[in-house]
Amino acid sequence: MPPDGRDGKWVRRDLGPVVRPYAVTGGRTEPADGEVLDLVAVVVAVGNDSGGGDDPIRQTPEHRKILRLCQRPVTVADIASDTALPVGVVRVLLADLIVQDAVRVVRNRPAVQLPGNDVLKEILNGLRAL
Amino acid sequence: MGSARSDGTDGSSGAGDAPVLAAHKILIAGGFGAGKTTLVAAISEVRPLLTEERLSSAGAGLDDLRGVVGKTTTTVAMDFGRITISERLLLYLFGVPGQERFWFMWDELAYGALGAVVLADVRRLRDCFPSVNYFETRKLPFVVAINCFDDAPRYDPEEVRVALDLDPDVPALLCDARQLSSVKNVLTTLVESISAPDQSPRRMASALPPV
Repeated sequence: MPPDGRDGKWVRRDLGPVVRPYAVTGGRTEPADGEVLDLVAVVVAVGNDSGGGDDPIRQTPEHRKILRLCQRPVTVADIASDTALPVGVVRVLLADLIVQDAVRVVRNRPAVQLPGNDVLKEILNGLRAL
Repeated sequence: MGSARSDGTDGSSGAGDAPVLAAHKILIAGGFGAGKTTLVAAISEVRPLLTEERLSSAGAGLDDLRGVVGKTTTTVAMDFGRITISERLLLYLFGVPGQERFWFMWDELAYGALGAVVLADVRRLRDCFPSVNYFETRKLPFVVAINCFDDAPRYDPEEVRVALDLDPDVPALLCDARQLSSVKNVLTTLVESISAPDQSPRRMASALPPV
């Protein structure tokens, strides 16, 4: 749904910080490794907790925030939600961290084939228990 | 909670001895105002999620692009909810806007999805034609959930099935997108239809609690 525009201005409060989204990527819109992470891809920080990283220029506050969220396995969608950054921006920043070996992908695109019946059963039981 | 720390020893390299987190997604499709937001909120932990909308000719008249040459995307909030099945299994619901201008999002969202729910409003049934077509073409399992708005006429799911020309293996059922129990029934019907193909009685199921 497009935001309600009055006088052509953005008036929705939940649209995040008033910074052009790709300002935090330095204008880059493509992930450095060219891989588009799925929304439900799972990523995790690689063990050695290198707070600063060896490439301080690329380590913006947003990079560090994402790195913190990745201390345990987390999905791309949740990172986007928790940082209030658009998904496309998160993908670019995550790719930076992946290229730097600070984060690795545990599970990217879910397999094209369906998950096994045990997983489906677990989902079913989980849903029924809600 | 206490065991989640992965940075304990130096050389562990976070190999993840803990059970691997798996996440699956279900799409919630349907026309504008069909109740997608309501449905997602009824059953999941709703989370804010921003994505980009590509500005194209489809947005002409809605988006004033004069003087913003080069601006090709704008940010939109989408319906997004998370259901924690277990510590290592998450289920995500993504509301996919039915309008043509959002179609670029569909392929990405549909890829690897477990399946989809097409929310139908009997007063504007044609709004869900594109979704039905899309999922049929992509062979993505889906169910049609007829959202029973208070002021909408009631139809038998079978009539809706005929009107939408659904394949016999596509479940069609009534639902109340506001009610957890009803939405639960919709999602379990979908997951059941995925896990046990070719058993037909389920398609007559109704998710609407007896009034």
